[in-house]
Amino acid sequence: MASSSSSSSSSATALRRWELENQIVGSEEPDRDLIYWYDEAANSRAQQEKPWSTDPHFFKKVKVSALALLKMVVHARSGGSIEVMGLMQGKTLGDTILVMDAFALPVEGTETRVNAQADAYEYMVDYSTTNKQVARPENVVGWYHSHPGYGCWLSGIDVSTQMLNQQFQEPFLAVVIDPTRTVSAGKVDIGAFRTYPQGYKPPDDPVSEYQTIPLNKIEDFGVHCKQYYALDITYFKSSLDSHLLDLLWNKYWVNTLSSSPILASRDYVAGQIFDLADKLEQAENQMASARYGSYMSSSQRKKEPEESQLTKITRDSSKITAEQVHGLMSQVIKDILFNSSRYHQCTADPSGPEPMVEA
Amino acid sequence: MASSSSSGITFKLHPLVIVNISDHYTRLKAQTLHSGESSSCAPPSNGGTAGSALSAPPRVFGCVIGVQRGRTVEIFNSFELLFDSKTHTLDRAFLEKKQELYKKVFPTFYILGWYSTGSDVEEADMLIHRSLMDINENPIYVLLNPAIIHSQKDLPISIYETELHVIDGNPQLIFVKSSYNIETVEAERISVDHVAHLKPSDGGSAATQLAAHLTGIHSAIKMLNSRVRVLHQYLVAMQRGEIPLDNSLLRQVLSLLRRLPAIESEKFQDEFLMEFNDTLLMTYLAMFTNCTGTMNDVVEKFNIAYDRHSRRGGRTAFI
Repeated sequence: MASSSSSSSSSATALRRWELENQIVGSEEPDRDLIYWYDEAANSRAQQEKPWSTDPHFFKKVKVSALALLKMVVHARSGGSIEVMGLMQGKTLGDTILVMDAFALPVEGTETRVNAQADAYEYMVDYSTTNKQVARPENVVGWYHSHPGYGCWLSGIDVSTQMLNQQFQEPFLAVVIDPTRTVSAGKVDIGAFRTYPQGYKPPDDPVSEYQTIPLNKIEDFGVHCKQYYALDITYFKSSLDSHLLDLLWNKYWVNTLSSSPILASRDYVAGQIFDLADKLEQAENQMASARYGSYMSSSQRKKEPEESQLTKITRDSSKITAEQVHGLMSQVIKDILFNSSRYHQCTADPSGPEPMVEA
Repeated sequence: MASSSSSGITFKLHPLVIVNISDHYTRLKAQTLHSGESSSCAPPSNGGTAGSALSAPPRVFGCVIGVQRGRTVEIFNSFELLFDSKTHTLDRAFLEKKQELYKKVFPTFYILGWYSTGSDVEEADMLIHRSLMDINENPIYVLLNPAIIHSQKDLPISIYETELHVIDGNPQLIFVKSSYNIETVEAERISVDHVAHLKPSDGGSAATQLAAHLTGIHSAIKMLNSRVRVLHQYLVAMQRGEIPLDNSLLRQVLSLLRRLPAIESEKFQDEFLMEFNDTLLMTYLAMFTNCTGTMNDVVEKFNIAYDRHSRRGGRTAFI
């Protein structure tokens, strides 16, 4: 069929373009699965050399396996609005940290619990020993936790926990996942971070992707945001994984079509709009006071803070609206698809599928 | 040995389980392939052939956990198990330990059965199956075929139950295949999409996000269209008499058509339009905010440019 061949070629080019954009580990079959082999010798050599102790900015990239990502996101989402946490296992490869697997820890994380990991040590030891017996000899290489609804960044407690970890358990990585934003935006919201050691000033200001932070957390964010840096995250999967995932799509498309992001994120969107309103009020107050200030002083310079405040608010509102519009588009499409008899009442055509097939 | 199941239980499988099993298999294959080359690694104790033989990659074994509600069995997660190839049994202590660990994190799930890889059910599997029967009186067996055949259209995963059949006068347990559906939560779907498909990994501009979202929906609709076409062609062929009439299929198609339009009540229309209006309102608000921001910029620039003329006058804030 002409349509299927053109669709397959367009999807093939789209796939190549996407792979290029996201630097997915290439499609060479034998090398792809090599990543799963745990090289004892190379790893112990790396542990002894410790190249990361001299350069605080040593690790630049993170590669997450499909399995680890899936497990982390599902676990984060299952917590609902409670923060959950877990550990990640993997290895290092040059300046890249590879995350092969992740497992959940049975602790309820709240913002104020610094030592949640102390409770989970027994669990961790048990889990690691059982894992070594089933051909997973990798060591724990980081921890992840969720920030449901307020973005991917490290809070003050997180920063101190991570600094402690980086002193004693190197190499160690911190990953934060926001399951609420994931569902609302339709793409995974995840961030990987490493802290700088105490007193170290980063040579240049790292450019990080902008994300909106709720008003009640923005102070915590601002105080600590210079103490850590974000790493690039890419994903990899084995050849069997990609084969299975391709086939999964055959059963999966129903779920894609039937998902309604508007319904799922209704509370979150309402919360965001409230937050934006508060921020707007704050910006207005700031602006009113600062305006007189800038007249009194003789400086002709634009006042930076409230300028970018309003721009930030504008960006946030556009983002939220864009997501909402996407959700509405899905609803409208579904309505046209499945309720189309309303639109075809006048003609003698029978309902629904007929027009689609002939088109 | 396997005929279709008649127990009437519906199975729902989560993609996480599939990725779990695949990862376990890939790991083991990688380890055994390389342990044949390096001198110091001990081969893992999982059952199967020795590491150096590339012809038969080792089988992996594990446990599937989930919930059973009435006649629906939902498989959420899985974990690996140790298999003793000499006695052909699963390591019991290990299983209890792992189960305990998983119970702490996922208290609602319990063991539903076990999984393995291979192309078909084997005789030895029945022994393992029986040993699990004391945990769950009707365990399920999930089999994944790890061979990558590119022309394959279906998922190479089958779910088997056991039934008591009378063969040659002896009641025997045999494996029967059951059908299953793929079930997913929204977050799972998004991450699977993310890893498997065409989605941008970073924020991107609004245009790329829109493109990604619509591409997803477009591919789903394309699948729907192709399926409907197949049905249509089948029906046309039936009408022409090329294919013998199948009344049950015709009944199913008729019931499907009767279900359209999906929802037609007044209330739905109202709700739908209300949501539409809400979204339009949001867009309006956002545009408004945008305009305010731009206007603020203009005013700032204006004030700076003409500031010297109004140093005395006390011009009020032009907001």
